Amino acid sequence: MTAPLDALSPVRAALLRAARASADAVRDRAQADAEETLRSARATAEAVLARARDLGRADGAAEAARERVRAAQDAWAAELAARAEVYAALRTAVHAGVRRRFTEDASVGSLSAEAARKLLGPQARVTAAPAGGVTAEVPGRRVDLSADALADRALDRLGVRAETLWEPA
Amino acid sequence: MTGAVGIEYTRVRELRGPLLFVEGVSGVGWDEFATIVLDSGGRRHGLVLEVDRDVAVVQVLEDTAGMNRTGTRVAFSGTPLRIPVGAGWLGRVCDGRGEPADGGPPVLGGSYAEVGGAPINPVRREPPDEAVLTGVGAVDVLTTLVRGQKLPVFSAAGLPHLELAVQIAAQATCAGEPFAVVFAGMGLTHADAAFVREGLAARSAARELVLFVNTADDPVIERLLTPRLALTVAEHLAFTEGRHVLVVMTDMTAYAEALREVSAARGEIPARRAYPGYLYSDLASLYERCGRIRGRPGSVTVLPVLTMPAGDITHPVPDLTGYITEGQIVLSAEVQAAGTHPPVDPLASLSRLMRKGTGAGRTRADHPAVAAQLIAALARSRQVRELADLIGRSALSPTDLRHLDLEEAFRHRFLAQGTDENRSLDDSLDRAWEVLLTLPRSQLGMLPAGLLDAHAPPRDQEAR
Repeated sequence: MTAPLDALSPVRAALLRAARASADAVRDRAQADAEETLRSARATAEAVLARARDLGRADGAAEAARERVRAAQDAWAAELAARAEVYAALRTAVHAGVRRRFTEDASVGSLSAEAARKLLGPQARVTAAPAGGVTAEVPGRRVDLSADALADRALDRLGVRAETLWEPA
Repeated sequence: MTGAVGIEYTRVRELRGPLLFVEGVSGVGWDEFATIVLDSGGRRHGLVLEVDRDVAVVQVLEDTAGMNRTGTRVAFSGTPLRIPVGAGWLGRVCDGRGEPADGGPPVLGGSYAEVGGAPINPVRREPPDEAVLTGVGAVDVLTTLVRGQKLPVFSAAGLPHLELAVQIAAQATCAGEPFAVVFAGMGLTHADAAFVREGLAARSAARELVLFVNTADDPVIERLLTPRLALTVAEHLAFTEGRHVLVVMTDMTAYAEALREVSAARGEIPARRAYPGYLYSDLASLYERCGRIRGRPGSVTVLPVLTMPAGDITHPVPDLTGYITEGQIVLSAEVQAAGTHPPVDPLASLSRLMRKGTGAGRTRADHPAVAAQLIAALARSRQVRELADLIGRSALSPTDLRHLDLEEAFRHRFLAQGTDENRSLDDSLDRAWEVLLTLPRSQLGMLPAGLLDAHAPPRDQEAR
């Protein structure tokens, strides 16, 4: 007598097969989903990275441009300050030179007094200026021929020629 | 400034406001430049306003505050105020009297020029016909600035006219030709002055800028001199050195108020709103110094900025300016309230010379037609908006609704621009096309069919 066949075994086998197929499908889907999620995450990360790179590059370029302008400005400010220093030194030298001329040569002083009288008339009250030269006065009018005033006028007349101090030769 | 000093006059009869009355003078002429030496040794400067027999009236540029009748000496130079001119001004920052404010030496020049200037002989004027590109889309496309033109910006308190002026001064170019900007700030607050210096730093460092800054707390009389110095420097840079020069003058209302103050101190009969009767000719003496001269290189283009008190366009300053200048760029509080920068009102703005400076060979072949069509479409949009306010949006036709869309697109895609965004003309015109194509082809009747075919989608696609 043979052992009775389990009447449910085909059903069991079919169910098992179906369950396995379904599990396979679920696993495949999950795998595909995982791959898709990973791919999209990688793409997003790449996009974010590229955008960050672009923004960083733009920020860097803007900052570099600002830095360049600042550097050019600082250099120009330093150059202007140096020019002002040189010009002030020239002014001091011209003042000293004119004063020296008045001290070394008394005739220059008397020439100034004469010029002052010519401008204001013989009644002008002529006074020696402390640093050389003279000032002269009549009521309502005055002439300044002091060493410093003459030096300032000479410097003004020099005009653009003073730029030779800082222009390349 | 000229330094020749001859006789000094010591008999000061009176000091009144910015005016000094000196008697006993001889051989002194009107508009002569004077150097005033104070008792303390300090120096001030002045201009002769009037001479009556032996009395000269001198307006003191630094004001008469702290001056004494006794001990003050006045020397006349024998000529009107002259300043050195030349490329030495480029890159320099000066106060409203042209004295260096950047720590540098005095500005020196190979020659001197009178700040009063001389009007250009009308016969020798060359008509303006090339554009100055500002990098501001609304200006370049709709109110193109042309070399040698005078085009004012009409603004009101609280609007960003200074930002626009600085942006234009920082970005303007002349198709690669030698270019320079002379910026004259008048009555600026210290914060504004700092903003201007900061905004124009790059241009200054490139030695393409001369900056004159007269601040609000500087003597009011200095303000009268500032635009004249700027124009004198600009004229030399343009007509002798061959550069195209843009002179930005802001704020001309502060200038006119200074003129009113000095006029009142002189006891002149006041005219409209107490401004002197010669306000028109005084403004013209500044604005008319722009232009191009036949046979000479370079050009002087003037962009004055003025604020309309209480937004009143009939106020004497904008009113008289409008008579002299060739159009205007109007800033609008409404556009500003909508959050758009620059708040240009395209329908109130106009450049009378733009037709001569735009088009093929100058800017771009489609430029005049695009500008005209955009203005026409915007005018229609405004009408539609007013209609919608009355009858409701739902009662509008589909075409009307497209016009409302166009206005929106205009504000967001065309007008809105960052304060540091330098927009190329091509980009601006392409944006104008984008805005125009909000409308169906049937509404773009001012554009030639050839241009439309090149830019618009074909008719059958449009229908879908």
